[in-house]
Amino acid sequence: MKKIILMVLTLAFTAGCETVKPWERDILAQPGMQIEADPLDAQLASQVYDSKEASSGGNSPAGGGCGCN
Amino acid sequence: MKKSPLAVLTSAALALPAFAATQPSETSISVKASHYKEEDIAASDVLLGSNERYDIDVYQFQLTTPVGADWSLDVNVNREIMSGASPWGTISDFATGEPTLIMSGATISDQRTEVSATVSRYFTDSSASVTLSHSDEDDYEAKAIAIGGEWNFMDDMATLAVGASYSSDDITPTDALMFGRVTDEEKRSRSFSVSWTHILDRTSLVQLGASITDRDGYLSDPYKIRDTRPDNRLEKTFSAKYRKYFGGPGAAMHLDYRYFRDDFGIRSHTLDFAWHQQFGDRFRVIPGIRYYSQEEADFYLPADSFLIPLDQYQSSDFRLSSYGAWAFSIKGVVNLDDWTLDLSYERYISAGDYGLDEPEFEHPALLEFDFVTLGVSYRF
Repeated sequence: MKKIILMVLTLAFTAGCETVKPWERDILAQPGMQIEADPLDAQLASQVYDSKEASSGGNSPAGGGCGCN
Repeated sequence: MKKSPLAVLTSAALALPAFAATQPSETSISVKASHYKEEDIAASDVLLGSNERYDIDVYQFQLTTPVGADWSLDVNVNREIMSGASPWGTISDFATGEPTLIMSGATISDQRTEVSATVSRYFTDSSASVTLSHSDEDDYEAKAIAIGGEWNFMDDMATLAVGASYSSDDITPTDALMFGRVTDEEKRSRSFSVSWTHILDRTSLVQLGASITDRDGYLSDPYKIRDTRPDNRLEKTFSAKYRKYFGGPGAAMHLDYRYFRDDFGIRSHTLDFAWHQQFGDRFRVIPGIRYYSQEEADFYLPADSFLIPLDQYQSSDFRLSSYGAWAFSIKGVVNLDDWTLDLSYERYISAGDYGLDEPEFEHPALLEFDFVTLGVSYRF
C-alpha cells in the first residue's frame, strides 16, 4: 500500500512539472516566494497559536513547550 | 559595495539548489519587538476575579551567519514579559445553564526567556542540523534538542526534509501550597516530521508535510480548579503549502492548509492565505487572512462539575472547546540595501459559531487579541 501511495505521489509531482534550471529560479528566489518568508514572524505566530489553540505542529518537529496561559 | 537587484537575485538563485536549507551567503542580524494584547472579558461573564486578560511584550533577536565553507550558526533569543489574568474555571449559571467564569486576580506576572542555537553542515546535495534550546520562566522550564536532515532530488527540483526532536519540561506552579496545586511535575515530548518540497515551474512550488508528536507526563493545567487530562497525548498533522507568483500584479500568493488530530478527540482545520504584493524594488505589502476551526476534546465540559471525581478526565479550558477563529493581518516591508524594516498588525477574533462544529454553549473566555510587531534586519 505504501509503495502505491509513493508511486502515485511521485507521478502526481513529476507529471505536471517542468525542469527549472538554477538560472531560471530568479522568481523562486524572491523573498515573497519562500516557504517561510519571515522565519522570526513565523516562529512567534506559531508560539501564539500553539499556546492559545488546542492544535500545534506542522512541517517541522515540535520544540520545547511553555507555561503560556 | 552596493549590489544591483539583478546581481542579488541571480546570486540568490544560483545559491538555491531547490528549497533545501542552503548555507547563508551573508551574516544577518534581526531584532523584533511585539506587543500582544487580549481584550477584556465582558464583566457579566465573570463571577469571580478580574476580567482583564494578558498583555505580553515580546523581544526577539536572531543571528544567522555562515561559518567556513560548509557550516552555519543560527542563534535565537526570545524574551517575553507578561501580565494579566487567566481563567481558573467555569460555573454553570442557574438560570440559563450558560457557563460563567472564575478568573484569577489581575496580578499574574511572569517573564520567559528562550535561547536556542542551531549548527548546520552543508553537503553537495544535502544538509544536516542540530538545535539545542532552553526556555525558562517562573513556573516552567523546557529543554529541547532537535535534529534535521535535507536531501535534494530530481536535478534539485525537490527536497526531502526529515526532523526529530525531544523536549523535557519541568512544571512548578506558583502559590502551589496556598491553592493545593501540584508542586513539581514533568512532561516529555517526542516529535517527528517529514516534508517534501517540489518546484512545479518557474513561478510555483508546493510543500507537503506530516508530523507526529507523542507527549507524556503531566498534561493538565495546574492553574485550573478542576482539570484532569490523560497523561499521554498523540498528535498528528498533515499540511500543504503552495506558493505562486503572478507576473501581472507582481505578487506572490501563499496558501497553507493544516489538518490536526489527536487522541484527546480534537480535530482542527487551519487555512492561511497571504498576498505578497511587491511595489518596485523596495516595498512589499502583505495582507493576510487565517481561518481556524476545532472540535472539542472528548472530556471537555462547558462548566466544571464538582460531582465528577477528580480522577476522571475533565476540563473546562476554553482551548479544548469547539470554536472557530479568524485572524486578519497586514504587514509592510521596506528594503533599504542592507537593511530591512517591517511593521505588522494582526487582529484575532474567535467565537463558537465561527467553527465548523458549533457548540451548545460558547465558552465565555474565547479570545480576541491585537498583535503589533516592529522589526529591523541588517545583512553584511
